[in-house]
Amino acid sequence: MKTNRTQRSGAGARRPLIDGVNKVTGTAHYTADLPAPNTLVGRIFRSPYAHAEIVAVDTREAAALPGVVAIITGQDCDKPYGILPISQNEFPLARDKVRYRGEPVAAVAAVDAETAERALKLIRLKVIELPAYFDPADSRREDAVLLHDNKRGNLEREVHNEFGDVTAGFARADLVREQTFHCAEVTHAHMEPHAALATYEPERDHLTLHSVTQVPYYVHLSLARCMDMDASRIRVVKPFIGGGFGARTETLNFEIVCGLLARAARGTVRLDLTREETFLTHRGRPQSDVRIKIGMTREGRLTACEMEMVMRGGAYGGYGIVTILYAGALLNGLYDLPAVKYDGYRVYTNTPPCGAMRGHGTVNARFAFDSLLGEMAAELGLDPIEVRRRNLLKAPTETMNGLRITTYGLPEALDWVERASGWRERYGKLPKGHGLGMACSHFVSGSAKPVHWSGEPHATVILKLDWDGGIVILTGASEIGQGSSTIVAQCVAEVLGVDWERIRVVASDSLVTPKDNGSYSSRVTYMVGNATIQAAENLKQLLVEAAARKLKTRPDDIECLGEAYRAISSGETLNFNDVTIEALVGTGTLTVKGTFTCPEDFQGGKHRGGAVGSTMGFSYAATVVEVSVDDVTGLVTVERAWCALDCGYAINPLSVEGQIQGAVWMGLGQGICEETRYENGLHTAANFLDYRMPTITESPPIEVGIIESIDPNGPFGAKEASEGPLSSLPAALAEAVRNATGLALRELPLTPERVAGAMEERERERRAAARRSARQPATEGAA
Amino acid sequence: MQALQTLSIQKPETVAQAIALHRAGESRYLAGGTDLVPNLRRNIQKAQTLIDVSGLAELRGIHAGEQSLRIGAGVTLESLCEDATVRARAPLLAKAASLVAGPTHRICATVGGNLMQDTRCYFYNQSDWWRTTNEYCMKCEGDTCRVAPKSERCYACYSGDLAPALLALGAEADIAGPTGARREPIAALFADDGMRHLKLAPGDLLISIDVPLEAGWTADYEKLRIRGAIDFPLAGIAVALKRDGDRIAGLRVACTGLNSYPGLVSGLDALIGQKPDEAFHAALDKAVRKEIQPMASTLVAAGYRRRVAAGLARRLVERLYAAAA
Repeated sequence: MKTNRTQRSGAGARRPLIDGVNKVTGTAHYTADLPAPNTLVGRIFRSPYAHAEIVAVDTREAAALPGVVAIITGQDCDKPYGILPISQNEFPLARDKVRYRGEPVAAVAAVDAETAERALKLIRLKVIELPAYFDPADSRREDAVLLHDNKRGNLEREVHNEFGDVTAGFARADLVREQTFHCAEVTHAHMEPHAALATYEPERDHLTLHSVTQVPYYVHLSLARCMDMDASRIRVVKPFIGGGFGARTETLNFEIVCGLLARAARGTVRLDLTREETFLTHRGRPQSDVRIKIGMTREGRLTACEMEMVMRGGAYGGYGIVTILYAGALLNGLYDLPAVKYDGYRVYTNTPPCGAMRGHGTVNARFAFDSLLGEMAAELGLDPIEVRRRNLLKAPTETMNGLRITTYGLPEALDWVERASGWRERYGKLPKGHGLGMACSHFVSGSAKPVHWSGEPHATVILKLDWDGGIVILTGASEIGQGSSTIVAQCVAEVLGVDWERIRVVASDSLVTPKDNGSYSSRVTYMVGNATIQAAENLKQLLVEAAARKLKTRPDDIECLGEAYRAISSGETLNFNDVTIEALVGTGTLTVKGTFTCPEDFQGGKHRGGAVGSTMGFSYAATVVEVSVDDVTGLVTVERAWCALDCGYAINPLSVEGQIQGAVWMGLGQGICEETRYENGLHTAANFLDYRMPTITESPPIEVGIIESIDPNGPFGAKEASEGPLSSLPAALAEAVRNATGLALRELPLTPERVAGAMEERERERRAAARRSARQPATEGAA
Repeated sequence: MQALQTLSIQKPETVAQAIALHRAGESRYLAGGTDLVPNLRRNIQKAQTLIDVSGLAELRGIHAGEQSLRIGAGVTLESLCEDATVRARAPLLAKAASLVAGPTHRICATVGGNLMQDTRCYFYNQSDWWRTTNEYCMKCEGDTCRVAPKSERCYACYSGDLAPALLALGAEADIAGPTGARREPIAALFADDGMRHLKLAPGDLLISIDVPLEAGWTADYEKLRIRGAIDFPLAGIAVALKRDGDRIAGLRVACTGLNSYPGLVSGLDALIGQKPDEAFHAALDKAVRKEIQPMASTLVAAGYRRRVAAGLARRLVERLYAAAA
């Protein structure tokens, strides 16, 4: 563990991101910017139907259009794909059925965009329409047509878990409350629309795909599977990408479509999706209906929790099983909860498929839990922060469902937000229409069990050092703007102590970088960071030995000064380049490897699905939000936000602050205004005007507190720093609105329309009550 | 969004040339393009030729006279927001302009373009694929209004922010066209029809706006929107008010985002000379609600927009009345 914050570039340094200059000066090339001569333009023909059997896809007329080079349909790929090996039920182009409006059915490669778009209009889709379901209750009806024949009741997965004695827990509670919560579906709204560029070389049967993915390795696997190609003939490259937030943590249909089109056209195809198509590709956070019951003693101790979670999953499996499991698993691990019963239902509907989104599975469950916790605290006359303090865990510990907790900075996070927000002086004392609310949350630092369990280490990093003295970090970890390349560079800088400029990162090109599972579940800093540290230590060992040879002393007499190596006994030094030259003698270019594997005893409970939620380190967040509410419009303005995060150790505090601020923004977006909408399955908000993501004018001043609990297994003590804070935001916001208005609002987002509606409803009730009491004069009190 | 189809662009040097170049059904005038270009890319408005009027000298400049302010139709919203004369003598206009879209839009968007913008509806402002899938609507390529399927007319909603401000200020428009030049009150430019909301003849071109500068009046604008930037008004209310002692001596209320046209609330004459008490506000509330007819043309419920519009009118009157004390 290192805490030297003054160091320029090692662990703990506040460094601007290593690729930041490229991005802000416009020299970074994103997929759609990549120069590629003789490129064909790809376009996708999408289903106008929500649910239908495909009778025919007639492409003859389109194929005859001059300038059209290739057309493909579902007939061109009969291999289903999907991120989870147990639920692969999606085809890149629909085959037997279409299951949502916007599903890809055919694709065209043409000499230019105009021709490709004209060709789309000439494709004829003949179908037999089927009943379509947009609401989980409808698709779960007994007589509902199945979206997938093998999924009875249109259920992707039911989860039923009980840990501890819930009945006994409720029996000994002084207060038991049950409520339902509803969360609208939201999507990632990453800045860069989806794009892919594929080159097929027919002479060698080689395919190169550039794509916007967070998981190049899984894309590689899916391409090999769906294109029936040997994986060795495929190269996947991830250029700069403009955000992911989980949207790109699984292979997406357009990536395979682009590969198939390039092969059919025997050339290079560029497939740039529109914003609308990016929305339709979706994989966002599902609409969730949550019923929750909590038991509490008079003193505020939790006794039991029961939750039923119904998620509208959309038309395909995707990450669905993991999402529904996460929601239940991470009810544990935040507070000391003696008994938990969880019933989860992931339901198929004829809407675009949901997937993983920042705070995967946990956000809506946490909204319900922490909102009800706040309501109950109020009922018992307890302070919301104090109630959390009475239910803290004591690390190290293991939860009932087998999650190991090694470090737990929640107490310090609570202290920090209480102090920073002036909670004690201000809570309950703000002017009319103003309020404070708070909530907590946590998240994994990488899923301890990878999706594709192959027995390989969880992360592998290679360092290359050649005669020029440059250190190249080769990593498969996807830099998606979250700072992964910066963190690996800081890990190397810390271990070797070399100049920052000596280090370069090559990331995510399957031709040269080692396989990496990708950027999801906040795994990169923890796993890839640890692998990088090990690689750097291996390299340092070689350099120390070389310096010892050259200085004619023993390795344990060598002190590494970063840019120089020194013999302690003689005081003689060698600069880094001379050490490098010596290290290469007789062996040439140095390549060293570092790996990281999560030990099995961190991989979760033994029950079915018990691996989901397991991790080596949980981050912990406490958040306070201050709002004002307009009594005419119902508009909620977030005046300020305070968020403290236990991220173990901030390898780059600047980056950690940015991640926390981003999580606050994203959580507030879901809290106040973001919502996907469908009318008969047709997306009515597939653009940035109607999908109302907050703008910078909605951004409150955000104060960030970094809590460092120093995880014993994390890189320099670090844990994750991005997903954990998000889950606390919607509940903190709803609590602040309750504090401001006295109204408990249990439906997200808290749009002006919803807030004003609730205020009017209350006003109507008050008037009705006033009328009733006017009719029953004073005698009532004496009765 | 789809790629822009191939178009030709003409650059006239005078208004007369611009009008002479205009061909009904083929050409459209182009200034900032922030309204027109997305509509062209979505294929909901069509043109073969764009006549670029952004360089025309007659459309430029803000000139303050004794009695009125002349604002060229080609003045950008950013210039309008930042112009010292406008801020001092017609602050309502600067405020309304500052609430349009975002800063990058306001750099290009013009007064004329904002005033004459197309009506909006979520069944209409969609891609080709979306509208095909939804079997089109009356305003574009279909024959049914998706907002009110039994109606004979289109209910697309007028959503400009400048119009209510100009209406409240009693502004007039100078228009040039194939048949000559004319001056008309702003209200006369609009019709209650989502498809044909502009009462302009083919080739007509808005040259400038004339805003009277009346002493003793104060004015303000409130815009209901979810976000503090980008969003079009879900309801917009502009109020101009003159106070005399504790009485209201003059009152004009105009709205946007609530009908297919920007409208002046009528029936306020009876309120002149009154104190703004509860009876006054009840009458104002009634008059506002009579004028507006929000429909389900946005994703935000019409009933909510209706209630808030009335509430905002009251808030503005109370605020302006208090400030004029």
